[in-house]
Amino acid sequence: MSADLDEEKDERLAALAAGGDRGAFEALVTRHRQAVYRLCWSAAGNSADADDAAQETFVRVYRSLPSYDPARPFGPWLRKIAWNCGLTVRRGGNAGVPRVAEGDAPEAVDPAPGPEEAAAGNEERRRMEDALAALPAELRMVMVLRAVEGLSYAEIAQAAGIPAGTVMSRLSRARTRLLTALGGGS
Amino acid sequence: MDCRETQALLNAFHDGELPAAERARVEGHLRGCPECGALLADLARMDQAAGVPDPGPAYWDRFNARVMDRVGREADGPGVRVLRPKGGWMREQLRYLVPAAAAAALVVVIVHYGGMTPGVSTTARDGLVPGQAEMPRGLSPRPPAAPPAASERAAPDSAGERMAKAEPAPLVAKKPGGAAVARRLPSPVLTEERAAAVPREERDRLADRSPPEGNKEASRERAAPGSPPVTAADGMPPEMQAERKGTAGATAMKREQQAAGTAKPASGTRMAKEPSAEAPPAVSLASAAPRSASPCDLARTLAERERIRDAETAQRACLAGDLDAPSREKGLVFLAELLDRQERFSEADAVIAEVEKQYPQSRPLDLYRQQRLTVQKEPKAVPVTR
Repeated sequence: MSADLDEEKDERLAALAAGGDRGAFEALVTRHRQAVYRLCWSAAGNSADADDAAQETFVRVYRSLPSYDPARPFGPWLRKIAWNCGLTVRRGGNAGVPRVAEGDAPEAVDPAPGPEEAAAGNEERRRMEDALAALPAELRMVMVLRAVEGLSYAEIAQAAGIPAGTVMSRLSRARTRLLTALGGGS
Repeated sequence: MDCRETQALLNAFHDGELPAAERARVEGHLRGCPECGALLADLARMDQAAGVPDPGPAYWDRFNARVMDRVGREADGPGVRVLRPKGGWMREQLRYLVPAAAAAALVVVIVHYGGMTPGVSTTARDGLVPGQAEMPRGLSPRPPAAPPAASERAAPDSAGERMAKAEPAPLVAKKPGGAAVARRLPSPVLTEERAAAVPREERDRLADRSPPEGNKEASRERAAPGSPPVTAADGMPPEMQAERKGTAGATAMKREQQAAGTAKPASGTRMAKEPSAEAPPAVSLASAAPRSASPCDLARTLAERERIRDAETAQRACLAGDLDAPSREKGLVFLAELLDRQERFSEADAVIAEVEKQYPQSRPLDLYRQQRLTVQKEPKAVPVTR
């Protein structure tokens, strides 16, 4: 990806990609792939389906670029497609089954300092992933969008196509269930 | 502000979504309430721990190439897994529509000229001649040669004329969803000789055949390992592929389609072709559904009896009919459900994609998804509010 494309806004990249610029499209893929993957994971609840859905998302985005209006923000449009793909793929009969397999262990560098703390942190994170995967997709979505992606209620509402009040109630319900699953909190 | 009120606002407080005035009130309460303070700390701890398992650098290294490969294939021609083919579907459609139209014409001609031939007329009244249901409005294709039995009653050209004038038929070709679904499996569309000769038996078999063994075998065969997955499994880390093993075989849509036309013992086409091969003696349809039942009703009845394959065939015939938009929307979702229940997930996906495309924010689809969410795997789940 060229440095020029790196600095372009999403909407501009999307317009370029719609005009046939594959480099611009790949820049969008690189920029958003992890967020898309996480959202797909939150819809699908497991890594294999998340992978399928993330790939499918970008293919659909590519297909839909001609109808995308660059005057509208790219992020919500992308999230909507990713969420739909995630839900569609999860229909493969694994709905709601937390499948946190060996390969799901995060390989990312854990910021925890000491080995013991790191182990404890990893353990909690692992339990949290299990608990998240066990949530209904709608609750998992708001939780991931809020706690992982840091979106505001309004942004989540837009992505999920629900009122902001519903975002709040789902978030509350999601956290309550997670707390219960994690042992009732402190 | 008391604890209850505070805790109701705690999530929004934690997320920085409270207006300043309320925020100040919550802060005031928190200063003197360790219990609410502990709850707030839990929220923070939970958010910190919340994370999606990252598939790792090796995965991301290949991610772009896989996407660009698929996009490249898409741009260069029909992809391997094209949910919505961009061109050529009309021609493909006509492959089924022409014989279907001819079948409809035959029915009209036979009823008109030949008197009421019991088998044919009954079926026509019941709306169970799939070919008739598929007849496009205003489309008057050249009728193919009529089978001998029909030729005795009416000449082919008069059949064509009559069809063009009188056919009230519902439309498939102009409705993208119906077209796409009908295109996937040819089963509900009968050729003219089948429509003229066996519709009654066909329906009886739909209602009364006892399929489990044959179907199971067919399903096993379809889901057999070794069939190349057509979706993005290429390049996926092995553990993900292993994780997906339960559904791998079902993703081969192409193979499905071929199987539907050739090997599936339960497909309507096959049943019509070789009635004696698998079907037990036909029993009256009344045992399964009212005589006047439409294919749509029949599909529901059969599904209730766990005869999913037959229900699918009936449902496809139903969708080939002239449905209003809400009925078609529900019907497509039901078809997806039937495909899911047969573990034909790729086909179900394709149908879902059609629903999404044609009916954005589809309520029936949402409901179906929620049903899967709450019923299938999470019996204790709190119903999701809408």
